[in-house]
Amino acid sequence: MTSTNLWNVLRQISVNVCISVGMTLVVLMAGIDLSVGSILGLSAAICAGLLKGGLSFESLDLFIGFTVLGGIIAAMLVGMALGLFNGWVITKFSIPPFVATLAMLTIGRGLTMLYTKGIPISNLGPNFEFIGSGWFLGIPVPVWISLVMVLIVVFLTNKTTFGRYIYAIGGNEKAAFLSGININKVKLAVYGIAGVMAAVGGVLVTSRLNSAQPNAGMSYELDSIAAVVIGGTSLSGGVGTVTGTVIGAIIIGVLNNGLVLLDVSPFWQQVVKGIVILLAVIIDKMNQKNK
Amino acid sequence: MKKIYIYILVILIVALLGYKSVYFKKLSAVKNAQKENFDFKAFVDSIYFKGILKSKKNIALTDLISLVQTNSEMAFKEHGNRLGIGNSAFFMIESTGKIFDIKDGVYTIADKKNGIIYIDTKYIFGNAIRDASGLVKLTDFKTNSQFNKVSESLNDIIRNEVIPKAIKTIKIGDSIAFSGAIKLRKNQNLFKDIIVIPSQIKLQ
Repeated sequence: MTSTNLWNVLRQISVNVCISVGMTLVVLMAGIDLSVGSILGLSAAICAGLLKGGLSFESLDLFIGFTVLGGIIAAMLVGMALGLFNGWVITKFSIPPFVATLAMLTIGRGLTMLYTKGIPISNLGPNFEFIGSGWFLGIPVPVWISLVMVLIVVFLTNKTTFGRYIYAIGGNEKAAFLSGININKVKLAVYGIAGVMAAVGGVLVTSRLNSAQPNAGMSYELDSIAAVVIGGTSLSGGVGTVTGTVIGAIIIGVLNNGLVLLDVSPFWQQVVKGIVILLAVIIDKMNQKNK
Repeated sequence: MKKIYIYILVILIVALLGYKSVYFKKLSAVKNAQKENFDFKAFVDSIYFKGILKSKKNIALTDLISLVQTNSEMAFKEHGNRLGIGNSAFFMIESTGKIFDIKDGVYTIADKKNGIIYIDTKYIFGNAIRDASGLVKLTDFKTNSQFNKVSESLNDIIRNEVIPKAIKTIKIGDSIAFSGAIKLRKNQNLFKDIIVIPSQIKLQ
C-alpha cells in the first residue's frame, strides 16, 4: 500500500467514521439507527440546495444567500432535527428504535427525492469542494474533520456524565432509570448527535463529489453498523468504545480497498464483508458468554 | 451570575455564526447579476439547436454496430467521443423503430435491424449527450464546474423542453425516428438491450 493509497482509503472511510461514531452512541445505548443514510442524503441535499440557490422571497424582493459555513450549519441542523425526531418518536411512543428509524429511513429518502426532484445538485463551488477534496498539513481535509468528530465523541463518552449515562442506559435501562437518570433526555440527545454526525458525513460526501446526489447515503447505515460491531461494541448495549468503531471502519475501508485492488468481483466483496461482520458478532457473543 | 455569562457567550457565538453563514441581497439584483454572467442557457441552446440537431455526424445505429464488430478502432476513432483515456466512448446515433412498451418514461423500441432498444426519456442525466456530441471541449472552460454545467443545461433542455413536446402524442404502436447518445466499449460484443439517451424523437 502506497502513501497515496493510504490517504485515499482514509479519505474514503472518513464519511463512514463520522456516521459510525454517532451510531456507536446509539448502539451503546442498546438502540439502533437505520436512518443515518437517509439523514445524510437529505441534509446533504439541503446543504447543496442552499449553497447553490439560497432562499428567495419574491414578495419581499429578498434573497438570502448561504456561505459554505451556512450550508454546513444548515445541514447539521437538519441532521439534528431528524435525529431528535427519531429520539422523540422512540421515547414518546415507546416504539422500538429499529421500527422508528426504519420509518425515518423511508421518510428521509422520500423527502430527499422531493427536494431534489430526483436530480443531482451540482457545481457547489471550489470552496465547498475543498472540504472533501482538499489537503491541510499534508493530510486530507475529510480525515481532519472525522478526527475532530471522533475526538468530540471520545470526550463525550469518556469524560462526561452524559457519556456514563449512555453506558448505564445500555447496560441496564431499568437500573439507570431507578438511579435517577433522565433516560428520555439522554436518548433524545444521542439520536440528535447521531443525526448531526450523519449530516457531517453528508457534507463530506457532497463536497467530495461537488454534487448532492438524491441517492447519497443509500445503505450507509449497514456499513456504519458493521464498523460499530467489528469495532467491538455490543449490540445489546453498554459495552464498546468509539476508538474500537474507528478501527472497525478502518478494517472495512481497507477490506474494501484491498478487495478492489485484488480485482475481486463486487459480488464476492459483499460476501466477504458479510462474513467479517458475522465473525465479529459471533466473537462478541462468545466473549459475553465467557464473562 | 455565571449562567448569564454563559448565555451571553452562546448568543455571541450564534450571532457570529449567523453573520458568517448568510448574506442578504435584493432578489432583483441577484437575478440581474445572473443575467450578466456567462449565459449557459444561450450557449447550450446554440449547442443543441445549431449543433446537435443539425449535426451530420450522427451515425446510423446499424452501421455503428457493424463497424464496431469489424473494426472497433476505426469506429471509436471516427465516431466515438470521450474525455481522457478509457475503453469506452459515447456515440451520437440515429435509428428508427416501433414502440411496443412505455414504462416509467422508458420507451421500448423494436428496431427491425438492431433488436430491442430502450429510450430513456425521464432520467436524462450525466454527460452522455455533451460528450457524444463532441461539440464541447473541456479546454473552452475555465473550470470543471463550468464544463459540467454545460451537461446540466443541455440535459435540462432535452429533458424539460424537447422530449415532453416530442412524446406528447406518441403512443404504443407508433413508429418513430430518434437520435441520441449511447455508450459502447471497445471490446463490446453484445449489442442487445441498448439504452439510448435521446437528443431528439420524431413521429414517423
